[in-house]
Amino acid sequence: MDTNHSRRQLAAMKQSLFDQGLLDEQFIQLEELQDDANPNFVEEIVTLHYRDSSRLISSIEQALKERNLDFNKLDTLMHQFKGSSSSIGAKKVKAECNLFREYCRAGNAEGCMRSFQQLKKEHAALRKKLEAYFQVSRV
Amino acid sequence: MELVNNSQKLKQQHQQHFHVLVVDDSVIDRKLLERLLRDSSCKATFVDSGDKALKYLGLLGDNASSTSNSESLQQNGIKVNLIMTDYCMPGMSGYDLLKRIKGSSWKDVPVVIMSSENVPSRITMCLEGGAEEFLLKPLQQSDLKKLQPCFLKSFEQQSADRSVASHNDNDNERTALSPEHGFKLQFVSTIATTILRFWNSL
Repeated sequence: MDTNHSRRQLAAMKQSLFDQGLLDEQFIQLEELQDDANPNFVEEIVTLHYRDSSRLISSIEQALKERNLDFNKLDTLMHQFKGSSSSIGAKKVKAECNLFREYCRAGNAEGCMRSFQQLKKEHAALRKKLEAYFQVSRV
Repeated sequence: MELVNNSQKLKQQHQQHFHVLVVDDSVIDRKLLERLLRDSSCKATFVDSGDKALKYLGLLGDNASSTSNSESLQQNGIKVNLIMTDYCMPGMSGYDLLKRIKGSSWKDVPVVIMSSENVPSRITMCLEGGAEEFLLKPLQQSDLKKLQPCFLKSFEQQSADRSVASHNDNDNERTALSPEHGFKLQFVSTIATTILRFWNSL
């Protein structure tokens, strides 16, 4: 049966995301909030997150271009980014956010730049995987 | 059994009139709360800043005018039973908002503060500043259960208000209050509260 196949595929995809340390318990919490009255809740929240986080990435990128880095501003932006990521259970991305903030607090510009590049990579990778996940869930 | 059904009904009716004001600059956290509060079947209003919350409560402006503004808002039936606010917001923080509310005619409304950061000194400061509860983000269904006392407190307050109101509504010329009416309402309220506490503890 197609439905059974896609359900199993979905479960396997989700397990893989957890095994790779990309998602945490919060994602399960979101799934538990999905029901008949809110049938697409998880996808809606994730979509909102990517809209929100893309905006924040642009702002951080702009801020990192300044000659003298405003570490307070960067920390505030990253705090928002971290909160947004945390709300969907993006475990690895959240860890990168913490690293970035440590560099901010240490006033380490190079560290900030490096960890931001890594963060963008993780963010994009998870986004792709979640898009694939939701595509299967719609079958 | 009938008393139990009545109290469940009362609880539902009360929660349908229960109004939560949510203050959070994060669109995702607002959506999450919207979903979590849906299960409590209460009415919720969402604003994205402390300033907008103050505006809603009629507290924006100089002290003199804002007192009369908020009082007239309350008299005209703007009721807020619970305020849930994020701690870290651009502009006014959740703590600043808490202090403004506690220094106003809305001071009896419970205020819950939410934060993604677990900073013990911050938590202490908020609780000492009058916050009812401090919740860590991201919020979960179990966190909403922690807020049951707020729902209950409001329920008891409403019952008390109702019994006072009914006394006041009665014949003004009567100098002695009829004990029977008061006793009945107090009795039902106590039984209902006890049952609610019992059900909540399960």
